[in-house]
Amino acid sequence: MSSLFLTDDGVDLALRGFARVHPQVSLHADPTYATTNDRHPNRRVGLVSGGGSGHEPLHVGMVGRGLLDAAVPGRIFASPHNRQVLEASRRVAGPEGVLHIVKNYTGDRINFGIAAERLRDEGIAVQRVLVDDDIATENAQTATGRRGTAGTVIVEKVLGAAADEGHGLDDLVEVGADVARRSRSVAVARRAQTTLSGGPAFTLADDELEYGVGIHGERAAETIPRPPLDVLVGRMLDDLLQRHEEQRGVVLLVNGLGATTQLELLTIAELAAEHLGSRRVRLLDVLVGTFVPALDMSGFSLTTSAMTSDQLHYWRAEADAPGWPRRPR
Amino acid sequence: MTHAIQRATAAALGAHVILTEYDQLSGDGDFGDNLCEGLQRAVRQIDARPHEDPFAVTAQVFLDEVGGTSGPLLGLLFNELAKARASGDPRWLSTGLEAGAAAIQRVGEAQRGDRTLLDALVPAAEAAKADIAPSAVADVALRAALDTAAFTARRGRSSYVGARALGVPDPGAVGIAILLWSIAHEDIAPEAAGAAVTALLPRPASPLR
Repeated sequence: MSSLFLTDDGVDLALRGFARVHPQVSLHADPTYATTNDRHPNRRVGLVSGGGSGHEPLHVGMVGRGLLDAAVPGRIFASPHNRQVLEASRRVAGPEGVLHIVKNYTGDRINFGIAAERLRDEGIAVQRVLVDDDIATENAQTATGRRGTAGTVIVEKVLGAAADEGHGLDDLVEVGADVARRSRSVAVARRAQTTLSGGPAFTLADDELEYGVGIHGERAAETIPRPPLDVLVGRMLDDLLQRHEEQRGVVLLVNGLGATTQLELLTIAELAAEHLGSRRVRLLDVLVGTFVPALDMSGFSLTTSAMTSDQLHYWRAEADAPGWPRRPR
Repeated sequence: MTHAIQRATAAALGAHVILTEYDQLSGDGDFGDNLCEGLQRAVRQIDARPHEDPFAVTAQVFLDEVGGTSGPLLGLLFNELAKARASGDPRWLSTGLEAGAAAIQRVGEAQRGDRTLLDALVPAAEAAKADIAPSAVADVALRAALDTAAFTARRGRSSYVGARALGVPDPGAVGIAILLWSIAHEDIAPEAAGAAVTALLPRPASPLR
């Protein structure tokens, strides 16, 4: 029995609800995965992503025209099984194979990796783009590297538009790896998400902030006294910008972590835009919303992506997926 | 007909408690459960599909049905052993172990020394190249698995608990040793396998409370 409004079925009911609301997406059972019914005819490579649930609309909400061909949801905060990835990849593989977009977590890497071994055994070409944008995990002593977080949205969108132009597998790997390399994120929380057994995953005082929190409630290296919002946004942007090799212009993603209101996110976006202006960094585009939450965590992440002009063209291309906002031109 | 997977199942069931004790000190405690359940499912499937190669059936069961990360990784090993044996190569054990170790390294991105099942599999694959008896390969795997008790983890399940895992061997590496022992000892009946393997494994020095 969860204290969230969930049942013991885990995520199955939510997925069935999703399929009922969005008939342009097909939900497959045993194993569970979702595919689009609206694939661009020029696509030669199937795009597949996935990961734990609790980050909606990622990944299933990104299945659609101009985005993913298939998404593979695991249980809450748990990697999908390799068989889900295998079956989804078999179904959407194009004449030039399939590309896996994987957030950098050990379980996801291993399960997508096992599926890739099996696909190659069957003669299906498969490559991977790894998303590892979270700068909070940059200096870890372990070999696991930076976590993948909200930058995944940027990588999926750019690759979706590139795939619709008919690019082959090697081209797409290059585009995806490059835009991933150019994208960095940092997240803060003022309240942890609710655990399935009830209660917060960790506790913070009212005047504290978790700086560098993970999207599964991983504690940050630092709990800081909560600064004024304007100062906080400036510090986050400074931490991000110094990681970019080029920083003349960036796309900004302001992402809610689950329980952060649109009023707050828009405030943060405007403060961030002002900070970028005062640092002489051009704001190429800004997207605001809840794309990669951590269940109901109260917090937000900022992602900056120093895109090339080609990548920006792909980013701005029209797309139609349940989790992608309509953006009138 | 008795096959290696029947013997491995009996051996793993015999060692189930010890494997769980190792994993409770170094990981999340479910390795013995996953290994035993996977092997039991494999035996049932092999019985139901008598015309298929037992290793190929075991590979499919571990890849498709076993949870956690180590189960599907063992599936990759059985897949390579099955392919090598089906090719008619008399040195299939060596070829299969080498290809299996390579696949697990690619996917798990771990190396020898990281305190994972590779610490038994890689030395076994190297030993098998020298054309020694399968039982000697299994001995190498067991010695190497027990040596992991002195390793600190960088990858895999015990990387989260660091030095706490010192003193017990990595359960995944011991799992590899049990599988190779079962493949090598065609002369030992499944009924005797549990006790024979258990006798080879030390109990943790500090029993859990």
